[in-house]
Amino acid sequence: MATGSATLPKTGVLSLHRLGVMCGLAAGAWLGAAEAPTKLVTLGFSPFLISMGMVVGVFVARWTLPMALKGTTYVWRDLREKPHLIPWAILAGALWAVANTLTIFAIRDIGLSVAFPLWNTNSLVGLFWGVLLFKELRGAGAGPWAKVLGGAIAIVAGACVLGLATSQQPAGLSDRAGAGLAAALGAGLLWGTMYIPYRKAYISGMNPLSFVTIFTLGELVTIGILTISFVGGVSVFSGELSALRSSLFWLFLGGFCWVIGDLFQQYAAKYVGIARGIPLSNTNQLWGLAWGALVFGELHGKGAPYQLMVILGSLIIVGGAVAISRAEAPHSEQASWRAAMMRECGRYGIDPARVEAALTGDDPLSRETPKRAWWDFLIIVLALAVFVWLGLGTVTPDLSMNPFWMVVLVTATVAVLTVCTAALWKRTRFS
Amino acid sequence: MTNSIGRQILTDVHFWIPLGVLIVGILVLLLIH
Repeated sequence: MATGSATLPKTGVLSLHRLGVMCGLAAGAWLGAAEAPTKLVTLGFSPFLISMGMVVGVFVARWTLPMALKGTTYVWRDLREKPHLIPWAILAGALWAVANTLTIFAIRDIGLSVAFPLWNTNSLVGLFWGVLLFKELRGAGAGPWAKVLGGAIAIVAGACVLGLATSQQPAGLSDRAGAGLAAALGAGLLWGTMYIPYRKAYISGMNPLSFVTIFTLGELVTIGILTISFVGGVSVFSGELSALRSSLFWLFLGGFCWVIGDLFQQYAAKYVGIARGIPLSNTNQLWGLAWGALVFGELHGKGAPYQLMVILGSLIIVGGAVAISRAEAPHSEQASWRAAMMRECGRYGIDPARVEAALTGDDPLSRETPKRAWWDFLIIVLALAVFVWLGLGTVTPDLSMNPFWMVVLVTATVAVLTVCTAALWKRTRFS
Repeated sequence: MTNSIGRQILTDVHFWIPLGVLIVGILVLLLIH
């Protein structure tokens, strides 16, 4: 929350707007990078099972990174301070899982090139909820409105152009086209609505690291139920899961990268709101394309029109991200954000001073929490052991990769991680 | 969770929007699978 004094940081102190924009862009880089390891999974597995494998990896990472950064005692106290947000986080996880499953059906029935633009509208749905429920952009004036709305639409449009240029065209709409359209639109609606709990948590002063530890429970349980139902029962599921053993490491690695991206997205939602933060993190399409085209040679053999579409789509996305990053919330809009915060404090009996401190990058709870316990380190060691164990039995498929571009992209994403993590630590201590 | 918190959540109109959307999503999933 940026009240008058908060928006005017001391000289040399990073503004919360700039920090939120950095987090949104870092989210895009890491959510895009998460696609790379999953490309190494040998074909032939059910998409439900691949999705389940990645979610289990996400679960491990989501219970490890928060403990490593803040400790279990901090997370536990944060949750106890705002227990009403626990059902919200579980609900958000369930929304993600159902949306993800819908995309599998959408791709099956109408193809990725038609389905992707439809579910990619989720950032516009999020923007709508941000304005309606959390007073984002209220009182912002025409300039920020045009930049945020125009930027969000540009990012969706650019991502659609990239999707059309890079995915396989469907052979023709099948008789299940209606079902596929419903699935794709449903996924966009569910993912866009998932941002309501995100914003709800942050205007109540919850730490994003605490929120994701509960979110992942809703996600894992829901995706587990759906996967077991769709693959044909527990025994079929167990059999297929053991067959997936040699590829699980790549799914876990993808899940780990995804969690880093997701955490940055959560911080973006906290510091610049969902109307600005979510479209910025949707620049992941650009990074996914870079990995696919430069490292895995997925555009090889595509003609000039396709390559022109890729350049055009990328430029549109970059333009949209620049527009949003330049739309800092004016004081009049920050007053509206504050009104939304006060509503939560009044309804759930939360101390507004503590929430306001959390939203300006301070962390009062951290000062009251004892240092990390021994079991925090045990959790980290166990998570590392899981990755090592999976890595030992991993099969790397014979896939052509460009080592030069791989080194370039790994260096770029690690640099983004280092810069943004340092900025978050210095400005907020991961508040 | 105390009854008081349960009541606070259930009387919060914000809560019913994602819950309603989740129910719609599950129904779509059941219809198309």
